[in-house]
Amino acid sequence: MIMMLADSRFSYLSQVRFYASYLVTPLHWLADSPRTISDSVNTNLQSRSYLIAENQRLKQQLLQQQFELQKLEHLKAENIRLNDLLNASSIVDERVVQAQLTGESPDPFTKRVLINKGSMHDVYIGQPVIDAFGLMGQIVDVEPYASWVLLITDPQHSTPVQINRNGNRAIASGTQDSLQRLVLNNISDTFDVVEGDVLVTSGFGGRFPAGYPVGVVSSVVHDPGEPFASVTVEPTAQLERSRNVLLLFK
Amino acid sequence: MAPKFNKHHGGWIILGTLVLAALFTVLPLPEWLEAYRPEWVALVVIYWVMALPDRIGLFTAWIMGFFMDVLEGSLLGLNALALALVAYLALSLYQRMRMFTAIQQSSTILILVGIHQLLSFWVLTANSQNTAPNLIFMISALSSAIVWPFVFLGLRYIRRTFKVV
Repeated sequence: MIMMLADSRFSYLSQVRFYASYLVTPLHWLADSPRTISDSVNTNLQSRSYLIAENQRLKQQLLQQQFELQKLEHLKAENIRLNDLLNASSIVDERVVQAQLTGESPDPFTKRVLINKGSMHDVYIGQPVIDAFGLMGQIVDVEPYASWVLLITDPQHSTPVQINRNGNRAIASGTQDSLQRLVLNNISDTFDVVEGDVLVTSGFGGRFPAGYPVGVVSSVVHDPGEPFASVTVEPTAQLERSRNVLLLFK
Repeated sequence: MAPKFNKHHGGWIILGTLVLAALFTVLPLPEWLEAYRPEWVALVVIYWVMALPDRIGLFTAWIMGFFMDVLEGSLLGLNALALALVAYLALSLYQRMRMFTAIQQSSTILILVGIHQLLSFWVLTANSQNTAPNLIFMISALSSAIVWPFVFLGLRYIRRTFKVV
């Protein structure tokens, strides 16, 4: 009991946990191995025509994205220039490292996943994690060869967000009754938000860099009996499906 | 012939079954099935306490719980305390449990694992980390009771085959 108190209130035991996880991490690898094996078998048994088609498709996509990148380069430069004019400092480029999901928390009431990068790869607590589509969560626990990610839909997680359309700020939190959606807290009925609005990180709190997509507003309900409007948000990141994630380094 | 002092053997088998149970606990399951996952480690600990009460007790249960905490990334000591309590109850019940029929054993397991779950979630609530929306976490006590007869038979077979004493 003393141990639990110590773990929840102080950080003396993080070292103990850190070293004990050397013994435990192989179990996670083992639990993940059926998926890894089936993945590698799949890759090796892909038919030739399928690969050719995929190659074609990827080339198309690359072309499209390179085209968009050209514009982005220009916009980035312009952004930096404008920020300089305003005397504001802003970081546009972040370094990313790719990681893979290797496990999920067995507790059905939390949203935590395990990734295969740990302190050996300079992962730190509080580091933002994204996938190809948007913000996924942040690192809450670092082990030597793995780390735990708290997803944005966890009931204990809140993300400072901003509506892309008009720059209004809000806090998006996970909920207990649905682990797939987010809600916006304390939104007054006059707040300008409509269905389909895209939410991006606002950069407030200093944890997540600004501008990463978080979710799309899926419903706005104004109940006259309630002090606040209830706004639900569908996360953009594929929290249940993404296997490859990116760690952002500042 | 010199008397053999070390009468215990098969420690590796016990460790193996515990590790296997831990593996089953973190094996990925579909979302809707996750709440129904039996408490494998608690079941295996109860079995070994019942079978070898002079050997497996609070200490083993606590250490195993500690490693489960690291494995699940939960509050350090949470599983340790809950498993130690379950082991203590099993230690005081084992003589009766050995005599029980399968149904009676399963109902005892229902209560033991139920206590395990309640204690875990009480501690989480006290620490304001409890995120369960309702009492659905008690479902795993039921599923544990349902799989118990198979766990029991399987482990007894293992114990007899490898002569773990």
